[in-house]
Amino acid sequence: MNIPVYLVVAQWALLLTLGLLVIIMYRQLGRVFGAGQPERKHGPAVGSKAASFEYLRVADESMQYFAPGAGQPALAAFVEPTCQACDALVAALTVADQQGELAGLRVVLLMSEPPGYLRISDAFSATGLEIGRVTTRAAHHAYNVDSTPVLVAIDGTGVVAAAGTAFELADVRAYCQACLVPAPAVSLPMAPGF
Amino acid sequence: MDPLTLVILAVKSALAMMLLVAGGAKLADLGGFTATVRMFLPRPALRATVRAGSAAVAVGEVALGAASVSFPAASWVNPVILALACVFVAVSGVGYARFRGRTCHCFGALSRRKFDAWGVARAAAIVVAAALATAGVRPSAVQITALARAGLLAAALVVALTAFTAARALAMANRTESRLTAQ
Repeated sequence: MNIPVYLVVAQWALLLTLGLLVIIMYRQLGRVFGAGQPERKHGPAVGSKAASFEYLRVADESMQYFAPGAGQPALAAFVEPTCQACDALVAALTVADQQGELAGLRVVLLMSEPPGYLRISDAFSATGLEIGRVTTRAAHHAYNVDSTPVLVAIDGTGVVAAAGTAFELADVRAYCQACLVPAPAVSLPMAPGF
Repeated sequence: MDPLTLVILAVKSALAMMLLVAGGAKLADLGGFTATVRMFLPRPALRATVRAGSAAVAVGEVALGAASVSFPAASWVNPVILALACVFVAVSGVGYARFRGRTCHCFGALSRRKFDAWGVARAAAIVVAAALATAGVRPSAVQITALARAGLLAAALVVALTAFTAARALAMANRTESRLTAQ
C-alpha cells in the first residue's frame, strides 16, 4: 500500500508534540514531589536585582506592573489567605500602614489563590493595602519563593535589601528600615520556627 | 521522496501543532490570556465580552490547527494561517513597543515568553514558515482517506487536550506546592 507522504510527516509531528507535552507534565510531577529540591530557600538573595513582574489587582482585576527601582522603595509580600502565618504578616503590615510607617513605600501583597479565598481571612478582608494575584508562578520563581509568607524589601535602586520569612510588626519595621536605607544591604535572620 | 515536499509538509505540520498547543494552553489559562487581550484594547470593554473574545481566539487556533492537520489538501487553510501569523507579528510588534517585558500568555502557563525583540523575531519566523507552507505540493502527497482524516483529527484534538492538561497541571502543581509549603 502506498502511504501519502503527508500522513507520515503528520504522524511524526503529532508524536513529537505529544512527547514534548508528556515531558512537561512529567517535570511538573517532579516538582510536586520535590525531586531535586534538597533544601527549601526563602526569598531572593540580598543584594541581587529585584525582578519585575505583573499581577492582577484584586480590587478591579486590572493588570499591574511591578517594576522595582525608579527611586521608590518597595515591599513585596508573598502571602496566601489560607496560610495562618500570612494572616499575621498582613495584619502587621496593615498596622504599620495605619501608623504611617509605610509612607513612601510601594507595598504589594501578592497571592496566587483564587480571590474568593480572601473571605476566609479577616486580615486580608480588613487590609487597605493593595492585593495582587498572579495566575502563574513566574514572580514566585523570580523571587525564589517556595513557601509563604515571604517578605521582600527592595530599595529605591531596585536591589533586594532584605528578604525572608516575616510575620510580626517588629519584622515589618526592620524590613521598612532596610529598604529605606539603600546601602549597605541588610541581611535579616530568618524568623524562629521556619 | 522529494525533499522540498518533505520540508513543506513538515513546516505545515509544525505550524498546526503550534496552533493546537497554543490554543489548548490558552484555554487552560483563559484568565491570563484575557488580561493580555485587555491590554491591547484602547477602551475599557465588558469583562465578559473580552473573555468571550479571548476564548474565541483560543478555540479558533485549535480549530485552525485541527483543520490544517486533518484537511491537508484544503487550499484555504494555509493562507488563513499565514494571515494569522501576520497578526502575530503585529501583536508582537505592538507588545514590544508598548508592553515590553510583560508576559504574552501565548502558550498559557506552558511558557513565560514575554513581549521582547526575540518575540518579534519568532513571530516573523512563523510568518516565513507559514509562507513556505502555502507552497504547493503534489496532490498525491496530501491525498488521504476519510479514515486517515478522522484519525488525524482525533489525534489533533488529543494534542490540544494534552496541551490543555499540561498547562493546567503546571498551574495546579505550582498551587499545590504553595499550599503544601504554606501549612
